Amino acid sequence: MKNNQKIKTNNTKRKGSPYKWRSFLALSFLTLLISGCSENGQNTSYSKGIYLLLDTSGTYTQELNKAQQLINYMLAGLEPGDTFAVARIDSGSFSEKDIIAKVVLDPRPSMANKQKRDFAATIDQFVKDVQSSAYTDISGGLLQGIEYLNEAKVGKKTIMIYSDLKEELPKGFVRDFDLLLDGFTVKALNVTKLRADNQNPQVYLDRVAHWQTKVAQGGGAWEVINDLDKPDAVL
Amino acid sequence: MNDLSTTSWLSDWRTFSLMLVVSVFVLYLARAYAHQAIMGLSRMLASIFRLAANASDSTRRQLKSRNREVLLEQGQEQVSRELEREFFEVSRFVQRDLGGYPQLQRQIQEEITHIHDDYQASGQVPAALPEWVEAVESVAKIKSSDNSSALNTKILEQIHQSAEQQHKDQLQQARQDAGERHKRLKNMTGYWRKLSDSVDEVGDRLKNIVTRSQNIDKHMLKFNEINNGSDSAVRALRASSLTQFLIAFIVVVIAAGGAFFNFHLIALPMSEMVGSTQRIGGVKVADLSALVIICLEMTAGIFLLESLRITKLFPLIGSMDDKMRRIIMISAAAVLLILASTESALAFMRDQIANDLASLRASLAGVEAGASGGVNEWIPLVANMTLGFILPIALTMIAIPLEYLLQTGRTVFGGIIELILSMLTIVLRILSSSVRQIGHFTIHLYDFLIAAPLWVEAMVKQHSGRLSPKNDHIHNNKKFPSKGSVES
Repeated sequence: MKNNQKIKTNNTKRKGSPYKWRSFLALSFLTLLISGCSENGQNTSYSKGIYLLLDTSGTYTQELNKAQQLINYMLAGLEPGDTFAVARIDSGSFSEKDIIAKVVLDPRPSMANKQKRDFAATIDQFVKDVQSSAYTDISGGLLQGIEYLNEAKVGKKTIMIYSDLKEELPKGFVRDFDLLLDGFTVKALNVTKLRADNQNPQVYLDRVAHWQTKVAQGGGAWEVINDLDKPDAVL
Repeated sequence: MNDLSTTSWLSDWRTFSLMLVVSVFVLYLARAYAHQAIMGLSRMLASIFRLAANASDSTRRQLKSRNREVLLEQGQEQVSRELEREFFEVSRFVQRDLGGYPQLQRQIQEEITHIHDDYQASGQVPAALPEWVEAVESVAKIKSSDNSSALNTKILEQIHQSAEQQHKDQLQQARQDAGERHKRLKNMTGYWRKLSDSVDEVGDRLKNIVTRSQNIDKHMLKFNEINNGSDSAVRALRASSLTQFLIAFIVVVIAAGGAFFNFHLIALPMSEMVGSTQRIGGVKVADLSALVIICLEMTAGIFLLESLRITKLFPLIGSMDDKMRRIIMISAAAVLLILASTESALAFMRDQIANDLASLRASLAGVEAGASGGVNEWIPLVANMTLGFILPIALTMIAIPLEYLLQTGRTVFGGIIELILSMLTIVLRILSSSVRQIGHFTIHLYDFLIAAPLWVEAMVKQHSGRLSPKNDHIHNNKKFPSKGSVES
């Protein structure tokens, strides 16, 4: 009997082990296949990130109501997994403190809707309480936007500048650096014409051309959208 | 530079003429070998094309034969199934209707007995003559005297009264008997009707079995034709197969539309369950999950119809014992119902998410959201939920056209490939013939280019032929083989 049992045990071992190995290999292969195929939306090119810079200098604060409408429109168009941040351009914009609101939308649509509501409320409060700044540090804001979107690891990176594009830096501020905008799209929105621009339009054209060159040198794509009545163009 | 030099070189007409003469002469010298090379090439290409055409034709014939076999096999199976159904119906009829035939016969017998009894009872028995008639006659014959006449008169009057009374009684009895007989005859009408109905019923049932037997005859005729492999049967089966394929294809396309609609009904709520950022191969996991649910529903539907023996996509299920088949049937139906209910719940969730999104968009746009609780809100909700429940069950029916599509697709695609091979064979044969003709044409063109030396040769031959025709002929055959000799 004992001998028989031994033989049986040996047979079981002989028969069982290859099946176990095969099952293990098959399971491992399946796991690898699924994990290989699986892609996180935030790490791939499917999610998009938008960093909006709002100019709060001088009389441009009057334009913020229009900006709020634009933000609400953009919020409605965003999908779960997208990243959105709104920052102000003031005297020194290269700071996290200048980010008014930021959000990475939850994968669940209901939670994403809640986040959008909170975001819209924050922006509404900001527009009501905003105070104009003395200077306009666009370059600092751009650099902050680049860092933020690079950290967010989104697929499509867009920086929007809601400003007249006239940079005025406080004394001692140095913004003489190259922007690394490879894979970025920079959109200048509502580039208003100043009084001086009306006297000499070349000033306006030079201003726009200066930023276009700067963005192009950094490897980014440049767009100017002044007609905000067609919000489709913004997205 | 090269072009310029070539132009200048060609402009030099002397060089050009020299080169032309040399070329023609070289071509003339190489005539026999050139002819051989051209003919060899054209023959090689022609034989390649001919071989390819033969191979293609052989494949076509094999495919045709195979298609025919498959078509006949399918036809046999189909007719067998129809015959099986007819026999099943006849068997059911025999069990259900003719099984009650002895009872019906007994019923008819009873009705006939009733009718017979009533008939017997309705017969009229003539009334017996009164026995006192002879006494009256005797009294009447007594000789009349005063005393006796008075007595006779009295007796006769009493007799008369008794006769009157008896007549009345007899009349009443006769009327009563006649009434009873009429009543019995009236009762017979019901039995006659019942008998007539029973006979009609039997007639109708027999008519049904006659129709079924005629159908069986037709199917048997068809079966025999298919079994004999007659061309008419093959043609009929092919036409039937094509029609069935087209109908099944249209139904499957409609079902695919239903599945697409179903997919969109549950894709959004699935993103609420599994998230909408994860992707596999570029497709959202939520979309894949919705697709998997629909595929599971269709699979459950296919298994349900298989276990009901409506379709035969998996013959193993159909051939299982009844107990096992019932287990599969109940399991498939349960899975289907659970999935349909889940879809209904998902449709409810979809409506909630869509409302939330609409409300968010309205609030972001600064517009007041519409008053809630109106008729417009619950109608789409109910419609979504109903569709979420109905669509999966409706999609189970896809198994039937799918089976037809797969069965008939084999012969239809086989026919298409057969047609393509037939056309390929024709094209290859045309190419083979064309290559051969091009070879001949090239040889003629070659000879046209060296027409001048050939003319000289012919003249020389003619001249020398007059002198010594035998030697010259031998010499010519050795050096320049004629066109005919090359071709042969």
